[in-house]
Amino acid sequence: MWYEIFKFEIKYRLKRADTYIFFVFLFLFSIVGVDFVFEGIDLGQVKKNSPLVIAKTMGVITGVFMMLASMIMGVPVLRDFQYQMESFLFINPIKKSDYLGGRFLGSFTILLFIFTGVLFGMALGEFMPWHNPQEYLSFSILPYLRTFLVVSLPILFFGAALFFVGGTLSRKLVVVYTQGIIFFMWFMMTKAIENEFLQSVLDPFSLTTLSYVTESWAVAERNLRLIPLTGALLYNKLFWIVLGLLSLFIGYRKFHFNVLKNSRKKKKGVFEKSYAISNVTIEIPAVSITQDVKTTLIQFLHLVWFHFRGITKQASFWAIVICGMLIILVNSISLGTVYGVNSYPATYFIVEELQETSIYFFIIILVFFSAELLWKEREAKIDLISDVTPVSDFVNLASKYAALLSVYFVLMVSLILSGVIFQTVNGYYNYEFKVYLFGFFLEIFPFLALYTLLAFFVHVAVNKKFVGILVVVALFILNIALGIFGFDHDLYFFGGNSLGKYSDMNGYGHFLKPYLFVKTYWTLFGILLLVLSSLICARGMETGFLKRIKLSKNRVSRRLLKFGVVIFCLFLTVGAYIFYNTNVLNKYWSNSEASEFRASYEKKLKPFEYVVQPKIVVVNLKMELYPETRDYILEGHYILKNTNDQPIKEIHLQKAIEDNIELQNVFFEGGATLDDEYVDFDYYKYVLNKPLQVGATVKMSFKQTYITKGFDLGNGGTRMIQNGTFLDNESFPTLGYKRDYELQDEDEREAYGLSSREGKAKRDDEKQLVNARTGSDSDGIDFEIVLGTSIDQTAIAPGNLVSTWVEANRNYFHYKMDTSMINFYSIVSARYQVLKDTYTTVQDGQKHPIDLEIFYHEGHGYNLDRMMESMKYSFAYYTANFGPYPYKQMRIMEFPRYAEFAQSFPTAVPFSEALGFVLDIDDEKDVDMAFYITAHELAHQWWGLQVEAANVQGRNMVLETLAQYSATMVLQQKYSKEKIEQFLAHERVKYDEGKRKDKNEETSLALVEGQEYIYYRKGAINMFALQKAIGEEKVNLALRRFIADWNTKDGLLKSKTKCYATTKDLLRYFKEVTPEHKKHIISDLFETIGLKNQ
Amino acid sequence: MDKLSITNLSKTYDNGVKALDAISLEISKGMFGLLGPNGAGKSTLMRTLATLQEPDEGTVTLGSYNVLRQKDDVRTILGYLPQQFGLYPRVSAETLLNHLAVLKGITHKKERKEIVKALLQKTNLYDVRRQNLGGFSGGMKQRFGIAQALLNNPKLLIVDEPTAGLDPAERNRFYNLLSELGENTVVILSTHIVDDVKELCTDMAIINKGKVLKKGNPLKLIAQLEGKVYQKTIQKNELATYKRLYNVISVKFFQGEPIIHIICDEHPNNDFISIKADLEHVYFSQIHYNSQLT
Repeated sequence: MWYEIFKFEIKYRLKRADTYIFFVFLFLFSIVGVDFVFEGIDLGQVKKNSPLVIAKTMGVITGVFMMLASMIMGVPVLRDFQYQMESFLFINPIKKSDYLGGRFLGSFTILLFIFTGVLFGMALGEFMPWHNPQEYLSFSILPYLRTFLVVSLPILFFGAALFFVGGTLSRKLVVVYTQGIIFFMWFMMTKAIENEFLQSVLDPFSLTTLSYVTESWAVAERNLRLIPLTGALLYNKLFWIVLGLLSLFIGYRKFHFNVLKNSRKKKKGVFEKSYAISNVTIEIPAVSITQDVKTTLIQFLHLVWFHFRGITKQASFWAIVICGMLIILVNSISLGTVYGVNSYPATYFIVEELQETSIYFFIIILVFFSAELLWKEREAKIDLISDVTPVSDFVNLASKYAALLSVYFVLMVSLILSGVIFQTVNGYYNYEFKVYLFGFFLEIFPFLALYTLLAFFVHVAVNKKFVGILVVVALFILNIALGIFGFDHDLYFFGGNSLGKYSDMNGYGHFLKPYLFVKTYWTLFGILLLVLSSLICARGMETGFLKRIKLSKNRVSRRLLKFGVVIFCLFLTVGAYIFYNTNVLNKYWSNSEASEFRASYEKKLKPFEYVVQPKIVVVNLKMELYPETRDYILEGHYILKNTNDQPIKEIHLQKAIEDNIELQNVFFEGGATLDDEYVDFDYYKYVLNKPLQVGATVKMSFKQTYITKGFDLGNGGTRMIQNGTFLDNESFPTLGYKRDYELQDEDEREAYGLSSREGKAKRDDEKQLVNARTGSDSDGIDFEIVLGTSIDQTAIAPGNLVSTWVEANRNYFHYKMDTSMINFYSIVSARYQVLKDTYTTVQDGQKHPIDLEIFYHEGHGYNLDRMMESMKYSFAYYTANFGPYPYKQMRIMEFPRYAEFAQSFPTAVPFSEALGFVLDIDDEKDVDMAFYITAHELAHQWWGLQVEAANVQGRNMVLETLAQYSATMVLQQKYSKEKIEQFLAHERVKYDEGKRKDKNEETSLALVEGQEYIYYRKGAINMFALQKAIGEEKVNLALRRFIADWNTKDGLLKSKTKCYATTKDLLRYFKEVTPEHKKHIISDLFETIGLKNQ
Repeated sequence: MDKLSITNLSKTYDNGVKALDAISLEISKGMFGLLGPNGAGKSTLMRTLATLQEPDEGTVTLGSYNVLRQKDDVRTILGYLPQQFGLYPRVSAETLLNHLAVLKGITHKKERKEIVKALLQKTNLYDVRRQNLGGFSGGMKQRFGIAQALLNNPKLLIVDEPTAGLDPAERNRFYNLLSELGENTVVILSTHIVDDVKELCTDMAIINKGKVLKKGNPLKLIAQLEGKVYQKTIQKNELATYKRLYNVISVKFFQGEPIIHIICDEHPNNDFISIKADLEHVYFSQIHYNSQLT
């Protein structure tokens, strides 16, 4: 008997279009599955069809499309009730086990069929023409099959069992969806489990499991080994299969063949009562039927409430709410983590965490509840009754829409509540409700609101529930994909781009205005969609799409037409305004235009890369910053000196390629004429009237303006901002060809016919040995600047603060460096609080006081003492062990968290808001990273600012590895040995991670190029090993000698060779101080790829 | 406002079934009965009149309204009880009735409250008004359907097989209610219970396969057949012969023996006995005649 039912179920499903649509959908999606799942993730040397990648991709796809399982498995028994077949079915002598077993197995077979789409799709995906064959192993179907059986099948079984039982027992789809949401929540929650093994077993999609079991695999293993069904993975699969069996068992026990669910008792009571009343004559009172605007409004409000209550009355809705609140409490454990140290639970961290986790279940709610709402009448079969009421279709749709928005609202309020609870529990009481409200109602709400409109339109147009759901999901994915491929102009990228990052310092800054305009634009579009939906939505018996289109013209009421026209005009107006801003006032670069430009820049100008140019020796500027309007005017002069051995006729001036920047009034002493051949690239070739003789100087004055015009796309520019401007001289005029503008991506280079881009120059490349950085145009400058900014801000540049004054209600600051410095300076301006101190060192037997200042944002005072202390420890250690500090001050300036780094300029360290200012450091268990980072940046005042390294391989060892070493030594001055070990252990973890992701072969430290995991992580570990082996004193002695010989200003060897230092030079000093029998250590640590194991 | 004119209404479904075939009817105030077998096109006609379906051709006017175009206007004066419908199971009778009243445009709160109360009483649902509709029996559900159809004092009331699921007492009460309303409303009642039409309707039409076979006052239609209906009890094996010889309009079995009714202008003798004509005979003669043609 069960076989008959099984066959019936399969036949039924095979006749339905849904089955094939689902299959094709999964198939098509899976073709790009790997590309989608691993978008933006660097696989290193692991191939894109290695078993591990296949397994992870399949895990993700199975997880994401588990909702298909809910749509297939939730309905088999439910369907019998919906079509009121139950009475016919249940009177037949079917055994419960046959009925349930047949239905389950039949649907599950279909589900498996649908999911083989993943298998075939992914296998086919390998052969897509856009793939680089080098990223693939030769094709084999085996890993796909095996992964499907090992990874997908067990969890599909569990999902199938869960949804089948849920649908069978509750007979409500909403319950099935809620199960899906809870299932997903479970997945999210497992991420917070700290015990890795437990986490691996409990993760339903076995993503962490896969990482866990392959943790120790080398690259070759990752490429070759099949996923082993042992250990955590085996337990994981057993766990979920057993859980699936358990739910089937429960379902079997609880299911009864009664036709009316638990209502027999109640009904009896109803019957008796209704008969108790006799038929009395009752007049039916007259009523007035109205059809005016007020009626419409009353109907609208009534319907909103009706539908809202319809959702919120269900227990399943509150299950979702409680889940949402709980997951935050579990997930918010680690916030804004820097090197394993968490930040204070500031509201914006909480909000970001909430946004990140809740967006998934908001999307699930959006997808399913919009379908449920739109099908509400039809599923209750009350549609024939409600369709003949004179309520307008627009009011109908709009009220459902508003009801769903209200549901989002309630959810958001409860999420905010959970955030506040979390903060309170953690003893943080600065709630900042504004940030909460903005974070939810400004960032997420409009996104959901717009997509809900899209979902409504899709459902109305498709008019098939499950297909509609699928189309909505497909559109979601399509839109994400469009974004990835760079088709993201706000005018056609549905919903527009997301709002820029919130920062305590700058709030939402200048992002807000364009964001609001774009959202208005799309909201108007959405309303038009809603109007359109109301014209073509199915009402009554006419459900054919073309028929509905044909009938729509009869449905346009005058009122709706007027409304639609007004909205359409507004839509066009706002769209035109946005276009004017993004494409007329500002230039819009599509991705391909930008690449094209870079390619032709290189083709045209590459020959000038080594054209002989003078060096900048004096910089004297006056800069007016206008933070409110995000403008600046820069005026002043450079003095250029010919340090070459031949006269110079041409000066090649490169303006920063940015549309807002204009370069004017360039004037050379003695006159020059502009050769405008390359002005399209903002590359100005000036032919001097009189060639610049060897050793002679020429003064070049200029004016550069930065004017923000309207708004542009992509949250344009996070450097010149309303509070927390941070500029450096990279954006000021430079000399000669700029290699930075070249296309980096090798595939793109090939597409534009460019040869492969050479990496860092070899250590003996003579052209680059004389450069300290790419395209260097200076060997040191005298620096002076006057900064003007708004009255409430402080503007800071390197050097002594000569004077400050107020003029025309603006603040002015005059900085002058009294000693030569490298041509590398920062300009910051913000509303700052300042903490001042002084530290006196003894240099060359003389007292040398250094002014220490930390400029910070109000309220970010948590770690100032640690940073200040770190500065003192650093100056003490560095001046004692490396050499004198040439300047009289050291300033740390906080800048907004758009970027997360700190950077050392002469006397100045701009330090990101995200990095150390809000860390909640627990001295018991954390490493004091505020202290460490400060020490690292201060070390650069020696390594980088005094000794510059030649722009060749190994450069970053000289700069960064030495800074890591120095900072570790300073950390050791203050903290215990255990802390140092904890720090190094963390570096080790980061090293392993970096190594795994690296596409290239690991190099030795001495020849390192751009790999952070080598020059930061391995550098710290190996330098620590070196000082352990030969002694800290010896290392410092070597460094002291190195600095004396190679510093830019008066280093003996530097002046003699005119070259900058390389690791070859550095290692010579190390070897010098190492006893003969230990010399091999130097090459072990720095000249081979070995890592010193502790 | 008081006359519904249907002209030349046709509708063919995608599967080729001709549900309405050039139907023309004039329907005035009062009860109008629509008789026909299953699949005759009754429901299609009623749904078309209820603004739920589009005909391929033809016009429908109600007073000055074009029913096919001015749907929203018609809906304000329309009451409709579909043949099959469902209700939200987790909502109470009172809430849903109130909800539907708002949809119908009864925005005056007090009026709404009164009519909801009156209709709940009228349909004997007042005592269970707070119960969820999910627990309602078939009869109660049907009564609720009637209540909602009357919410807006309809000028056009369309009831499709309204008495299905009602017990005899409830059925009577319902018909009494309809007759009351029929005094100043166009009521269209579709049914296959012939007696109902005879008892209630002042006007009627018999339709089958999308065509109007007969229309008129039931009593007049019966009168036309008066004296032409004969009955005879025969043997089972004679049935074929009789069918060939006479215009047999119906066969009934009584204690296992077939009783046939025939229509004949003159007395056929042969042991036939004349019986009083009834609406049933009108109905069967039309259906029978019609099916012989095709």
